[in-house]
Amino acid sequence: MVALDFNATVFMQMFHFLLMLIVLRLVAYRPLMNIIEQRQAYIAGEIEQAESQKVQAAELKAEMDAGLQKARDEAKAIVDRAVKASEEQAQKILEEARADAQKVKEDALADIQREKEKAVAQLRNEVASLAVLVASKVVKDGLTIDEQHNLVQDAIKEVGQLPC
Amino acid sequence: MAAEHGHEGNFLEVVHHDLNIYHLPKHWDLGEFMGYPIQLNADTIFFTWVAMAVCLLLGWVAVRGANIRRPTKMQCLFEMLLGFLGDLIKQSMDPKKGAGLFSIVVTFFLFLSVMNVMGVVPTYVKPTADIQTTFAFALITMTLIYAWGIKYKGAKMFKHYITPIPILAIIEDIAKGITLAFRLFGNMKGKEIMILALLGLITGWGWLAGGFLASTIWLLFCIFISLIQAFVFTMLTIAFVGSAVGDDH
Repeated sequence: MVALDFNATVFMQMFHFLLMLIVLRLVAYRPLMNIIEQRQAYIAGEIEQAESQKVQAAELKAEMDAGLQKARDEAKAIVDRAVKASEEQAQKILEEARADAQKVKEDALADIQREKEKAVAQLRNEVASLAVLVASKVVKDGLTIDEQHNLVQDAIKEVGQLPC
Repeated sequence: MAAEHGHEGNFLEVVHHDLNIYHLPKHWDLGEFMGYPIQLNADTIFFTWVAMAVCLLLGWVAVRGANIRRPTKMQCLFEMLLGFLGDLIKQSMDPKKGAGLFSIVVTFFLFLSVMNVMGVVPTYVKPTADIQTTFAFALITMTLIYAWGIKYKGAKMFKHYITPIPILAIIEDIAKGITLAFRLFGNMKGKEIMILALLGLITGWGWLAGGFLASTIWLLFCIFISLIQAFVFTMLTIAFVGSAVGDDH
């Protein structure tokens, strides 16, 4: 049923195989392998590029972070300085105000004292003149010694009672 | 037993004859060469040409419109095949030694797959169901083993023919070629006989249960066997060449 006699078909088939090998190599494998290689090269290039970009991005980020930190420090310094200056100024204003108030108070007290002294002096003058007036009246009417003495005592008491 | 055998043969030959709608003769006679007749098995040669045309068509479709970014479907299939076989070669031997083997191996797989699967098309005859084809391919594999062995190992290639046990390795090498040829041939011939037998059963009353259904399932299974056998042949070729160029013996 199954014949195993060989004839020229064997060689013909070998020739067919070689023909297919040569033709398919030219028609199919070469172009496809080229495309695969190109794709591999493309992907490898892309990966390399991505990696270098990643490194660049990391560098850029570090740079940015440093800049940001610097800016933050500067801002903090500025704020600190401003706070310190304002506090000093406030302190200064307060001290000035206090000094002013003290001066005003001292001035007022001095005025009061002066007025008081002035008033006392004026009063003394008036009391003296009044005493002279009274004395002149009494002298005119003639006083006893006792009466004179009482009068003087009263006058002194009155003067002592004057509000000054 | 003999009579039964003859009857079965006749039955298959009848089906075979009925399916030969292309009226191919059994042999093409191309005269004589030094007294020997030059004969070609007509159906084998004819359907080998068909298979070659199919292979070329597949290759052309794969390459047509092929590009880097958006591979076409056939391009994807071919790239997978090329990558897969390339990896197999790399695993079996030094890539530098395997580089020249690559196209040959891919051609083996593609050509054998197409020739094997062709058998499931009704009226088609698979060239691999002819011992001449499988023997031719096994001869090519043997040639590859010796070519690669001599190229990379020189005379050391033949050292194991003499030591440690003489003759044994020679028998082993001959057996390699013969088993390669007969494994493929046996599978494909068996497949063909099964197909023909099942087709022959599609007559009379029991055609649905006996012939048609079984035939359909068998044809599906045939596709699987065909691809497996093509792969086995390819894989063994790689393995044999790999062991011939390897440094381990």
